[in-house]
Amino acid sequence: MSVKLRNPGWYRAGLYVVLAAVLAFGLSWAVRAAYGHDTYAHFLDAESIVIIGMIALPLAFLVGIGCFDYWFYWASGRPTRPEDHSGHGAHSWRDYFRPNTDHKVIGIQYTVTSFFFLFVGGLMAMLMRAELAQPGRQFVDASTFNGLFSVHASVLIFLFIIPVFAGLANFVLPLMIGAPDMGSFASGWTAYAPLSTTAPDGQVFFTIGVQFAGASSIATALNFLVTIITMRAPGMSFFRMPLLAWANFSTSLLVVIATPFIAASQFFVLLDWALGFNFFNAAKGGDVLMYQHVFWFYSHPAVYIMMLPGFGIISEVLAVKARKPIFGYRMMAFSLLAIVVLGFTVWAHHMFVSGMQAWIRIPMMVTTAIIAVPTGIKIFSWLATLWRGVLHLDTPMLFALGFLTMFTLGGISGVMLAMVPLDIHVSDTYFIVAHIHYVLFGGSLFTIFAGVYYWFPKMTGRMYDERLGRIHFWSTLIFFNATFAPMHLIGVQGMPRRVADYADQFAGWNLAISLASFALGLSTLVFAYNMIASWRGGARASANPWRALTLEWQVSSPPPVFNFDQVPTVVGGPYEYGVPGAVHGIFGPAKPAEVKATPAGTHAEPVRE
Amino acid sequence: MEAAAISASHVHDDHHHGPPPANRSSRVEPALLGMLLFIISEIMVFGAFFTAYFFIRVVADEGTWFPVDGKDLPKLIAGVNTAILISSSFTLHWAENALKLGNRRAFRAGMVATFLLGATFLFVQINEYVHIGFSPQDHAYGTVFYGLTGLHGAHVTIGLVLLGMVTIRAFRGHFSAEEHRGVEVPGIYWHFVDVMWIVVYTTVYIL
Repeated sequence: MSVKLRNPGWYRAGLYVVLAAVLAFGLSWAVRAAYGHDTYAHFLDAESIVIIGMIALPLAFLVGIGCFDYWFYWASGRPTRPEDHSGHGAHSWRDYFRPNTDHKVIGIQYTVTSFFFLFVGGLMAMLMRAELAQPGRQFVDASTFNGLFSVHASVLIFLFIIPVFAGLANFVLPLMIGAPDMGSFASGWTAYAPLSTTAPDGQVFFTIGVQFAGASSIATALNFLVTIITMRAPGMSFFRMPLLAWANFSTSLLVVIATPFIAASQFFVLLDWALGFNFFNAAKGGDVLMYQHVFWFYSHPAVYIMMLPGFGIISEVLAVKARKPIFGYRMMAFSLLAIVVLGFTVWAHHMFVSGMQAWIRIPMMVTTAIIAVPTGIKIFSWLATLWRGVLHLDTPMLFALGFLTMFTLGGISGVMLAMVPLDIHVSDTYFIVAHIHYVLFGGSLFTIFAGVYYWFPKMTGRMYDERLGRIHFWSTLIFFNATFAPMHLIGVQGMPRRVADYADQFAGWNLAISLASFALGLSTLVFAYNMIASWRGGARASANPWRALTLEWQVSSPPPVFNFDQVPTVVGGPYEYGVPGAVHGIFGPAKPAEVKATPAGTHAEPVRE
Repeated sequence: MEAAAISASHVHDDHHHGPPPANRSSRVEPALLGMLLFIISEIMVFGAFFTAYFFIRVVADEGTWFPVDGKDLPKLIAGVNTAILISSSFTLHWAENALKLGNRRAFRAGMVATFLLGATFLFVQINEYVHIGFSPQDHAYGTVFYGLTGLHGAHVTIGLVLLGMVTIRAFRGHFSAEEHRGVEVPGIYWHFVDVMWIVVYTTVYIL
């Protein structure tokens, strides 16, 4: 038992959590005693214990389960525990519930957990639509409704979209760039059990949850950047990387640069709330508007954090399914970087009606309109990729095409919203709700579905059911539009968002929207059934069912535990579909003569440690 | 090396005991690169606090700043403290150089000096808090002052923990002229902490 308590794992994690709870209690009690306060009369009032505990407990858990062991050993100069790779790979479904050092297992853990939160967030949306089906109050009161839409948004943004992209990339990216695993810079430290499992029913929970989510997403982003920069296969220059790698590179840059701002904004809130600081207390010289500036300086780039990885997925799917090289590869890569840069210049367009200085409006309006240009470059490049391609209209491709149309619609309403007069007119109406859902549902979620169907054979070694997949796509597309398209209309007519009750004139549309949204919710069950049933008993997938060129398809399905027996050598671009004899990567010098014949790029010989 | 790799690939082994070594596609060490990218994040954290400083000092109340309620910031003491912290960057650099030249005695002396200088800075800073005469609860200017200096103080503390570990390891005979990554990575962090203090000191105390 004592060995179990000393070695990293669930037992030590449990022990450390208990110790952290004792610390939270003791520290809070000691400090209050030192300042001459009473000890708490009742545990439920013990705010300071709760706050300290909420910071200390998750940290203690992570330390206990062994997330930082490698670092502690490295920093103290003890021999870093020789990796025996026993915690690598999954041999039974139980292994998915343990900490693991295999990027593929971590990726699947992330992805599956995120989809759990998709259903949680979706259920909340169903509840809200049930309330909104008729004017007046039916199921929930106004404050519960407020809680519902806040949690709906937080759960889907922080616990679904952002981590699910990280999960997919965690699985695919090392395979794509020919790395045996994620960065050696901190092997396995993304093995965070997905974050706050506590129900976030208070501002403080949200605040501290964001700190942890932020810290771990910065950690993940650093890991991606280091992996992409230092661990590419020989011959894989930056301009031979698949666009998914480019997309995750840009996203990670965004995360590293922007996330500290939301961490700080929540830190300000916490200090004000818990320790009586005056960041936002106007009576003592604070500035409320500052919160909005700091918050949106993160949160606007964050919408690209939720979009760019999807752009990468679409580039992969479209090129493979249209059997054509991606159009304008370099422009695709550069437009990603342009979005990263421009994303930091538009934050105040969320604040046109907030009472900020009026002169900021026009520059922000202009930059917001400009950021549609690199996005437009991508849309037109995708269209040009499709042009005269041999289209394979299976489920991933359908979702990719659905993304193209739906996201373009969302983008157009976005440009409309950039215009100050229109924005002021529809601010806080359902027009905004429609826009955000066309971008995040029709945009991000469609790319996530496309990616999950596309890599499902690679991740599980099984094929999904194509018929169910198509039913899923068509029902999603139809009911998505039936749900969110009418919101544009009632928004322009002035129905305010974030209210549980509304004027009778909107009753007809709202009933229709609610009914459509229930059907949309049901369509997700088709997806869930398809995934679970196919994973258990689908047909075995071949190594490369899509005849794709990128490296992850050149290994077995599912990939071997260590990805490659030998790191491949990249000899050409990733999207040379339809080019006779084109090869992206070859495995090792199987035939030495062949290696000489194909110039392996301009890269230096591989350097071994 | 190339020949060895090829002959190894011809031997078909059923029991692969680990992943193949990753290709190194950059000359930068992963640990070093990770630290540099992390520092970008750190700069942005300070950036957010400076945004708060800017809004509270410039936007909200038309340039009100210390002295507030007759209490001024101890520019002189903080200036001396600044010199202490900056000198620790030089001793650290000296220690690193000594290590690379194989002079272990100088390396250890440099590490001890760096650690002591950093600890002195932190001590003076805490002392300043005790005697400064206002609290973050009093007004937003105090909030920003404590926020920025406290954020920096937290970074000094983290840096000191790292340096402390390096110093202890130095006395245990770790590191050598070839193997000095474990000094360099915390060292970059410490230099960052020092440079950031110059910015904090200039904006909060001097301007």
